[in-house]
Amino acid sequence: MRLPQFFGKKRGHRRTGSHLWGSFGEGLFYACLVAAGIVFGGLLLSGMVRYAPADGQPVPLPWAYAWCVWLLTMLIPGALLAFGGSGLTRVVRAWGKSEERRAASERMPEMLDAMGHAVGEAPGHPGVPTCDDLVNSPGTILRYRLPIESPESWTLFGFGLFAGLWNAVVVVLAVGAGFELVSGRTDWLLLALLVTFLAVGIGGIVVFVRALVLATAVGPTQIEICDHPLLPGEQYDVLLAQGGSGVFRSLELFLEVEELATFRQGTDTRTERTIVYREPVREWRDVQPVPGARFETHATIMIPPAAMHSFASEHNAIKWRIVVRGSPERWPVFVRVFPVVVFPAPAAISPVASARPFATVAGEVGS
Amino acid sequence: MNANAGVMAAADMFVGNPFSTRHTRPGAIPPLDSAGRPVDVAALCAQLAFKGGSAAIVGAHGSGKTTLLEALAREFERAGIPAGRVRLRARRDAVQVLRAILCSPAGAVLCVDSWERMVPVAAGLVRLVARAVGCNLLVTTHRPTALPTLVVCATTPRLLAAIVDRLPGLEQRGGEVIADVDIEAAFRNHAGNIRESLYELYDRFEDRTRRPPVRL
Amino acid sequence: MSGSVAGNGVVKVAPRVAMQFDQADRVYEPRRELGIRYHVEGIEPEVVRAIERSMLWYTEGKGEEDLGVHFFERIEDAAKLAQASPTGSFMVALPSSPLSYEGVVVKVRWCVRVRLFFGGGRDFVSEHVFDLGSVPPARGPLGRLE
Repeated sequence: MRLPQFFGKKRGHRRTGSHLWGSFGEGLFYACLVAAGIVFGGLLLSGMVRYAPADGQPVPLPWAYAWCVWLLTMLIPGALLAFGGSGLTRVVRAWGKSEERRAASERMPEMLDAMGHAVGEAPGHPGVPTCDDLVNSPGTILRYRLPIESPESWTLFGFGLFAGLWNAVVVVLAVGAGFELVSGRTDWLLLALLVTFLAVGIGGIVVFVRALVLATAVGPTQIEICDHPLLPGEQYDVLLAQGGSGVFRSLELFLEVEELATFRQGTDTRTERTIVYREPVREWRDVQPVPGARFETHATIMIPPAAMHSFASEHNAIKWRIVVRGSPERWPVFVRVFPVVVFPAPAAISPVASARPFATVAGEVGS
Repeated sequence: MNANAGVMAAADMFVGNPFSTRHTRPGAIPPLDSAGRPVDVAALCAQLAFKGGSAAIVGAHGSGKTTLLEALAREFERAGIPAGRVRLRARRDAVQVLRAILCSPAGAVLCVDSWERMVPVAAGLVRLVARAVGCNLLVTTHRPTALPTLVVCATTPRLLAAIVDRLPGLEQRGGEVIADVDIEAAFRNHAGNIRESLYELYDRFEDRTRRPPVRL
Repeated sequence: MSGSVAGNGVVKVAPRVAMQFDQADRVYEPRRELGIRYHVEGIEPEVVRAIERSMLWYTEGKGEEDLGVHFFERIEDAAKLAQASPTGSFMVALPSSPLSYEGVVVKVRWCVRVRLFFGGGRDFVSEHVFDLGSVPPARGPLGRLE
């Protein structure tokens, strides 16, 4: 007689064994944890509240222990009950359910709570990210002002914070070393530490000042757009505004698509980012912003008719973005990225791309 | 064909890039030794008992430690021995390991991935607690530790070639898209890291086959 | 080839699900209807305890596999099961997204799955891929500007 197998082996797409018996085995494991928690907790409780004198019957004592003692004592059985209970609940909920059914039922609460679409997803467009964060800033000339991805102000703040905190430590060390010297004692270890910290502190200040000057000299870049979200086959008016005090050898505007894939294997989390589409929109040469004002210019971007829309799932994404690359005369080249969201085409018929014929299999019966 | 086999039909399976994570993740391919032969997982499990119940799988990055750990965990479960799994991502995850040990029944095996992330003091404490509650540890680590070594995972070009041979769909492209020289070059470029080598082969396959995938 | 079935419903040979799409090239426009007809071969119909029919998308490439279920139906009732096995059919209204996409490190695929459940807790699933939309493949990796 073949015994039931309490396991399932996954071989790529194939899965051997029985999910049902595997769930039973898993449920049994968690049930044991719950039982262990109950037994352990019961033993602890009985041990804490009973006093057994050598010459008499055990008598229960009033609860004389502080609440913290109870908390610590019940931590272990509590953990067993919580872990075992949650696992058991999960097993019961997923009992005998296929992968598709579990995925469908997990999605249901999200759909109900968020009026029919998952949180972070555009209504009516599964898998398409919402663009709420991109349309909450009105533009001065066009309808929306796009936020910048990873703004340099945060980098500047980070440099400044590091330099400030580190040099605060340097000051403390310097004061300590000064007192030692004044009192006639020489603490070589403290002095060595001070020199090391001072060197790093000076480096931090230099990096921060350089970043500050760069940000100030180059100036902010802003992008405004006439409408959002974007649609395939449509054109959009874009305003580029560039501040700064120097001359730019060139300012370039691009439209890009980036794919992101995140994978955990072993203990590594790996994110692969690849640009799969780039369309140069326009280039301006020898740009000189007027002092106190900014360089403003318009351009038109077009989303290709058969373009893939923006996509976002837990570990994968397809992102559209407007990219500005500037080449200042006396400073390094900078690149600033402005994310946009492209929705699927509203029409039922989308243009057929000639480069996309899938092999037609004769006798289409599942093979 | 085994009776009662629950097997997903291969008919109409869309293959695409055979090096995608779908086909190369731990568990998708059975663990192989450095010569490319299937590892006798049951024998390794039996060896663990001789090592005192706790041991380490030692190997460099991308040498198949996690794949082997997962296979051993399933083998333990098949034998009726509960096997827990913990993946260490930071030093503070030692608490997670302790919690898992305390929740494990006596005789269980706790599989810990990336044991080298544990500081020595925490590792010693974890081992003490595990011994006290009768829980066995099976860990992966990049270098030998105080735990006895169960197996050392070593990689060779032959191992990478054996993995590639097991991937679906390569033969369907009507010719060798990925040749032996590609496998050797990927292995060489990534100093024997199988995982990174497979990523490179993914890129090579994509570069050469930017056309619709084959339907089997 | 039909499979032999023991008295306790044990399936001796793996079944096969032949599936026919109402469009031969299996390329569908968003928001249209998709018609499926399938036939289960290789087992006796009485062995099937339940059938699940689903339509879902999943990602493939260099990242973890994500999936989203668009349509799911489980049939257990004996009367309905007789209509769903060994031959069955159903129609599904397709969504607007996500479209099928052949990217470089991210690919989006759509498929129909038919899962058969037998006595003893065993199940068998068959997956059949189709295309939603006609998005051209990504051109390929380009160098980064930043």
